[in-house]
Amino acid sequence: MFSRLFMIPLLPLLGAAYLMLFGRRHSRAVVQTLASLTVFASFVIAADAFFFALPKVVHQGGISELVYTWFSAGTVDVDLALRMDALSGLLCLVVTFIGALIHVYSAGYMAHEHDYPRFFAYLNLFCGAMLTLVLGDSLPVVFIGWEGVGLASYLLIGFWYKETANASAGKKAFITNRIGDFGFLLGTFLIFRATGTLDIPAILDSARTGHALAAPLWLGQPVAFWAGLFFFVGAAGKSAQIPLYVWLPDAMAGPTPVSALIHAATMVTAGVYLVARMSAVYMVAPAALAVVAIVGAVTALFAALIGFAQNDFKKVLAYSTVSQLGFMFVGVGTGNFAGGIFHLFTHAFFKAGLFLCAGSVMHAMSGSGDITQMGGLAKRLPWTTRVFQICWLAICGVPVFSGFFSKDAILGGAFATEVYGHGLAWVGPLVGVLLGLAALGTAFYMSRLYFLVFTGPCRASDEVKHHIHESPVSMVFPLVVLAAGAALSGFVGVPPALRELVGKHGESTLSVWLEPAVGAPLEISHAIEWAGMGVSTLIALSGIGLAYVFFGGGYRAPAHAFVHALPRFVALVRDKFRVDELYAFLFIRPLASLCRVTFQYVDRILIDKILIGGWAFLADLGGRICRFVQVGDVQRYLAVFVIGLTALVWIAARPTAPGEVEVVVENHTARITLLDTPSSPDKLTYSFDFDGDGIPDRASATPTATWVYSGPGHYTASVFIEDARWHTRRTFKQDIDIR
Amino acid sequence: MPGYCYILVSLALFFIGTAGVLLRRNALFVLMSLELQLAAGSLALLTFSRGLGDEKGHVVAFFVMALAAAEAAVGLAIVVSVYRTRRKIDLDAINELRN
Amino acid sequence: MNLMASAPGLLEKVAFVVLAASALGGALLTITRKSAEGALIALVGTFCAVAGLYASLSAHFLAVLQVLVYAGAIMVLFIFAVMIVNREETQPIALRGLFLRAASVLATGYLFYRVAWIVVREKQTDVLASSAALPIPGFGTVASIGHLLFTDFLFPFESISILLLVAVVGGVLLSRPSRPGGDAI
Repeated sequence: MFSRLFMIPLLPLLGAAYLMLFGRRHSRAVVQTLASLTVFASFVIAADAFFFALPKVVHQGGISELVYTWFSAGTVDVDLALRMDALSGLLCLVVTFIGALIHVYSAGYMAHEHDYPRFFAYLNLFCGAMLTLVLGDSLPVVFIGWEGVGLASYLLIGFWYKETANASAGKKAFITNRIGDFGFLLGTFLIFRATGTLDIPAILDSARTGHALAAPLWLGQPVAFWAGLFFFVGAAGKSAQIPLYVWLPDAMAGPTPVSALIHAATMVTAGVYLVARMSAVYMVAPAALAVVAIVGAVTALFAALIGFAQNDFKKVLAYSTVSQLGFMFVGVGTGNFAGGIFHLFTHAFFKAGLFLCAGSVMHAMSGSGDITQMGGLAKRLPWTTRVFQICWLAICGVPVFSGFFSKDAILGGAFATEVYGHGLAWVGPLVGVLLGLAALGTAFYMSRLYFLVFTGPCRASDEVKHHIHESPVSMVFPLVVLAAGAALSGFVGVPPALRELVGKHGESTLSVWLEPAVGAPLEISHAIEWAGMGVSTLIALSGIGLAYVFFGGGYRAPAHAFVHALPRFVALVRDKFRVDELYAFLFIRPLASLCRVTFQYVDRILIDKILIGGWAFLADLGGRICRFVQVGDVQRYLAVFVIGLTALVWIAARPTAPGEVEVVVENHTARITLLDTPSSPDKLTYSFDFDGDGIPDRASATPTATWVYSGPGHYTASVFIEDARWHTRRTFKQDIDIR
Repeated sequence: MPGYCYILVSLALFFIGTAGVLLRRNALFVLMSLELQLAAGSLALLTFSRGLGDEKGHVVAFFVMALAAAEAAVGLAIVVSVYRTRRKIDLDAINELRN
Repeated sequence: MNLMASAPGLLEKVAFVVLAASALGGALLTITRKSAEGALIALVGTFCAVAGLYASLSAHFLAVLQVLVYAGAIMVLFIFAVMIVNREETQPIALRGLFLRAASVLATGYLFYRVAWIVVREKQTDVLASSAALPIPGFGTVASIGHLLFTDFLFPFESISILLLVAVVGGVLLSRPSRPGGDAI
């Protein structure tokens, strides 16, 4: 029972539910233990499945499990089904492992927090949702997780909601994500329309062997292109690429463990996961991959540039995350799916480590993240410093550390890719060059961060200096584990060229492992590989060296000179190229005006006054009418009775017109028919006087009679209706002209 | 005279009686108007009875008269009784069911 | 007995007009008087005129009864009641509000108009004329009505007498003094 797949997301979700309902009743120790335990239990189950059960079936599509049939609608059955295959299993492990670590870290970091249980409930909720996303076997299930992590992200960013800025940041994240979600849905709809199914294995199968997804849709591009594009919009929202990255820096308003878990290691990688998952679909339309790669590369470079001028520790790391996600997208966008996932894997370790170091440093600096006030912390925070150094070297791509291998895989793949075909062959090298520049930038700004925070004299005030201290064990322990991961996790992805040196052949362990899920790894010639490794190392060392020139041991002369020379440019970069302001101008202000107008006219006037007030007025009117009647005054009752009777008579029994007489004249013959005869239970006799002398000429029981006139002239005919019982007679006159 | 003339008179009497019932405050006036209405009805009955040659109309008018007498007696007794306790007989002043 | 054996002559028309005018005039006076006594007198006049109309319809027995019972007994009852309830009216017209009053009058008038319209439109042509020959000899006399009362209508006749008994008892009960030994008035 405990080794079923659905326990993996279920345990954290149950933990979240329990903590939300009953968390306040327990002590902090219990809350923290329970929360960490659920995620750790998920990790154990996932590891058990991953290492023992999965290898047997990984070539047949992995372990799949149907929980229950959610609903059937028409031709499609949507099941709540989970699948652990090579790709999702790897991500499961990452999420649960790092998730568990962060839970432990949070126990120490959030120790002074008032709303303790709520935080852990939300963390558990996030883990559950992320695991649902990763393990989902059909697009609706993935979407559940997708939305769930968006929700958890919103809740956690705005955790300290009493500050308006935090709440706004949460809102911004959610809304931007929502735009991405719309793209996800559009992609889903297109795929469903083309293939008729929502199950991922069936979709991938159709992509590999069928023709539905290759059929042209709009602008000559196949369905797969548009679906891929829409999915990428969703991915851009979730994984903070241009143009939907703006929420991630603001998300730093949340507690640091949140930033580490969600906005570095796991949630933001959901977009990359999605593209990798849909690899077969993307391979049908290389143009979509080109878009992914280009956007990724441009984002990587752009974010790196912004990172040059940020003065808040976590903001630097936020832009770094955006940039590194761009790297991952370049990886998957060049058809190098294994490479992109590899970087996701290593990035999780070193970025989480960097964020937790940030937490540690901010904890020491009494909550401030301003690096202009830091410096020389290496002496006071030994453990933090060492962990930071390892992670820093990893992210810069210094050899042996994990980042080196993963970045190298991506860079090499960019130049060596053949996935685009002839028309778009220029994309690969272009993207590679951009990425190289971005890597240089990465090295530069991360080193800047290191130098400004940990080296040189301390620029903080005395009071703050006094408080600087290393973090407790509960915080240091996860740091160390992550540092170990940052250092060693690269070795699962050692490229073939290096493997030959130690006598092993073939592709890297990771590429081989992921092959059943994402397809064959990219073949990169050894020459390009060695060149790539050399260039990467060069870039990394140059970046660090350049940063040392500017910032080694604090702000140095070249830094000041640069700022003096180009003050406006520096300000522009520091203001993140004013993209938020641009969005505000283009989108937010018009929407706000629309809202205001709608509120004033529709809400206030139409709805409140007319619709609601109107009903109230009508109810009041009805009441008045009833009150009028119920006075107990008999004469008033009688008066109403008589008036009502009059009204009835007026409406229902209008005095009828005298009745219609129809005359048909042929030659000298006239036939009169009385239409609209009065109804009477008694027998009526009709007599007709045709020549106008008053004496009836014809009598009949039916209201029709005929008469032949002797000559032309103008006659007045009369019809008499007699009632024998009541002795009444009615007369109708009609003029007849005979020609 | 043609019958319809009598019917018109009967109608006029009846509706004058109705107006009286609706528009006079004094209970006695209401009773008087009621008698008017009854008389009007009897007139119509007798007119048709004469026209149709059937004496049953007379018999019914006879009963109507007896009923009117009984009703007037009891009604007046009630009015007097009410007057004794409340010292007024305005119909809207002796209203217990107000609002 | 039958004064108008021939077609409606001038005398008959004049008599009808006078009687009808008296009846309607008396009725109008009744409902418009401020004092109850005046209204009573007008009502007596109306009843007498109506009795005359009955007579012109060959309903002789009922004409006499009308004078005896209505104009006689019932009106006397009313006079007694008016004498007992002896007060000025502050506000003679019922129904608060001009709207209701006007609406009542208009409604009554409209209903009269509608029914009258039908009546006039369906003018009877012959037989309801009161000047036609008597359908039966002895139409409307005490003997023939009495005969009907004691044969075809015996049961209602007896029931009416019980009803009158009940009315008498009710009247006596209602006018008893509320406190034992109290004043009867």
